[in-house]
Amino acid sequence: MTKKLPWIIKYRPKKVADVINQNQAKKTFLQWLESWLKGKPSKKAALLYGPAGCGKTSLVEAAARENGLEVVEMNASDFRRKQDIERIAKIAATQRSLFARGKIILLDEVDGISGMADRGAVDAILHLIETTRYPVVMTANNPWDQKLRPIREVSLIIPFKRLSERDVVIALKRICSAEKIECDEKALKEIAKRSEGDLRSAVNDLQAIAEGYGKVTLELVRMFSTYRNRQYAPFEALKNLFNAKYVFQAKNAVSQADIDYETMMIWINEHIPTYYDDPEEIWRAYEALARADVYLGRIKKTGAWSLLPYVFEMMGPGVAFARKIYRYRWKVFRSPQRLHLLAQTKRSREIREGIARALAPALLTSRHKVKTDVIPFIKIIFEKNPKYAARLAIGYGLAEEMIKWLAGPSAREVLQYFRRYKK
Amino acid sequence: MSSRQVLAELLWAEKYRPRSLDEIVDQEEIVSRLKKFVQEKNMPHLLFAGPPGTGKTTAAHCLAHDLYGENYRQYMLELNASDERGIDVIRSKVKEFARTRIPGNIPFKIVLLDEADNMTSDAQQALRRLMEMYTATTRFILIANYPSKIIEPIQSRCAVFRFTPLKKEDVIARLKWIADQEKVEYDIEALEAIYELSEGDMRRAINILQAAAAIGKVTVDAVYKVVGLAHPREVRQMINLALSGNFTEARNKLRQLMINYGLSGVDVIKQIHREIFSQEIKIPDEYRIIIADLAGEIQFRLVEGADDEIQLNAFLARLAFIGKKLKV
Repeated sequence: MTKKLPWIIKYRPKKVADVINQNQAKKTFLQWLESWLKGKPSKKAALLYGPAGCGKTSLVEAAARENGLEVVEMNASDFRRKQDIERIAKIAATQRSLFARGKIILLDEVDGISGMADRGAVDAILHLIETTRYPVVMTANNPWDQKLRPIREVSLIIPFKRLSERDVVIALKRICSAEKIECDEKALKEIAKRSEGDLRSAVNDLQAIAEGYGKVTLELVRMFSTYRNRQYAPFEALKNLFNAKYVFQAKNAVSQADIDYETMMIWINEHIPTYYDDPEEIWRAYEALARADVYLGRIKKTGAWSLLPYVFEMMGPGVAFARKIYRYRWKVFRSPQRLHLLAQTKRSREIREGIARALAPALLTSRHKVKTDVIPFIKIIFEKNPKYAARLAIGYGLAEEMIKWLAGPSAREVLQYFRRYKK
Repeated sequence: MSSRQVLAELLWAEKYRPRSLDEIVDQEEIVSRLKKFVQEKNMPHLLFAGPPGTGKTTAAHCLAHDLYGENYRQYMLELNASDERGIDVIRSKVKEFARTRIPGNIPFKIVLLDEADNMTSDAQQALRRLMEMYTATTRFILIANYPSKIIEPIQSRCAVFRFTPLKKEDVIARLKWIADQEKVEYDIEALEAIYELSEGDMRRAINILQAAAAIGKVTVDAVYKVVGLAHPREVRQMINLALSGNFTEARNKLRQLMINYGLSGVDVIKQIHREIFSQEIKIPDEYRIIIADLAGEIQFRLVEGADDEIQLNAFLARLAFIGKKLKV
């Protein structure tokens, strides 16, 4: 199976120079890194902060590559688990062997701990910074949380600017020419404007439109963007869910999405096989979702709203960690058939029930028996013998939609006879 | 209006159903006992037991017809335990019905409760009290496939009538007669095939005959074709798709089933359950047990009100995973 690489990965900056803008941040960061490599850092840790998609992680990765350093990323399930931080700390504190490569310790999105963390996690990070023999880099969108104060005090704080529209357009243009797609300048500007400086979301939008339509025009962008306002929220939430690296991210993806959790369940139900293709992953994800559904049912039945966290845990982390290995997954936007489908199945069931109600008293049997034992044979008559079917329809006073449902492919013919006979 | 009446057609199971006890050709012993009740204009509570399609409900209607005449249905409350929502609904309907006037020459009205063996024993206890409460003005006719599922105190209050499976020659004679009335061409072997396929269930036999006749001459092939069409193998296909590891296609099949046949999640899981132990599903027996257990769990969740699609998808995903393990 050929896997299309998400452009956000494919076009990730390879060199520091490729990181768009952020000259001040680059300079400060590189100086700090150099002081580490020379062995005398002013501060042992750096805290990179700025809005989403402005290049924090990209800069760390590019700088590591240029300096031949290995990035050891916090890939445990959660910052809150002290022992995970301690495990990283152990690696960090180990003396570098003569031949091994140097390392950068990267703790991504440390503000994720701020909302819920116990003191333990912050202490563990402080301990890590104290004992490390390698540069420790942390990233955050919002570093000003009270809980992060002890970390701020021991870190070099490096602010990143929000990217300007121009910056985003430049990056998008580069991708367009590399991908050889036709891109309208105005369209790119529109994407950039709507991204509000988030290059990652801009690139994802670009890819969604380009792959969906083969070209990128202003009209498409506008169409896609109105989409985004109304219906893009679940897409965004799904992307966050399936790409969550940590439990808290997966939980936030469902509990803080811009759509209610029942709609979210419908979206997850639709897209588990979109994001996963290994049968084990699919099964585990559905099992978790089905458990969430069971909890939700119990809540509705008993009013026990205290069970809601379990719903989120099953449909969020439960689904996200069904994967066997973490890999960034990015999928083209597609809304679920479910809502449409639900209406259809519901209608279909109502019609079947209506037919059973019409026939059961005449046949002296239960509606249930009519549905299971009689309707299958009537369907055959309706499909195979439209003329006769129309006469039966008159005999039982069936409504036109019942006739349509019974006759399936022959509906038009049966209805023609039916209308003629009825006169 | 007149042309409409000429054109209107009924299902043969209704059209050719006996209207009075005299028209019933089999169950002779039962019929003669029932005729006695008509003569005496009195009867006890009755329990009709026997396999489906042997004429229990028809006999009850014929009895009422012979007691009250053409408009008998106004003196009979018809309930079906599998359609009514619990004993409370039944109780209030009986109460309401008992309040209405009784016919001049017969001192009671009839409550007909079909598929009574589908009631829980608690509901049956409540039913027993109902029978006692209104015994002055009403008689109950209870109908059941399995008399053993009716609680002892009810059985002891009823005259029990055991309906036996219809004889092959009786079924075929009836089918022949209907076919002749309808001027349908048929092979005699085809009628035998219908008897075999309907397992002595008259209503089912007539339904098969009518559907086969709608296609053309009633031949053995036509009969098998009709029965095949009536019970599509789509559920089995869905299971096999999942077991071959193709979750997405199995899911599409599920959606089709629910739309085209108007099946609920519970309908689907019940049909799945019927297929699990079929030899058409080629998996080792120990997996059948695992899958049956899972199906039971899913059915329970659905009965409790869980989401049809999510739960069934979870079920299919598990099958796909099992299928993959079996292949490796």
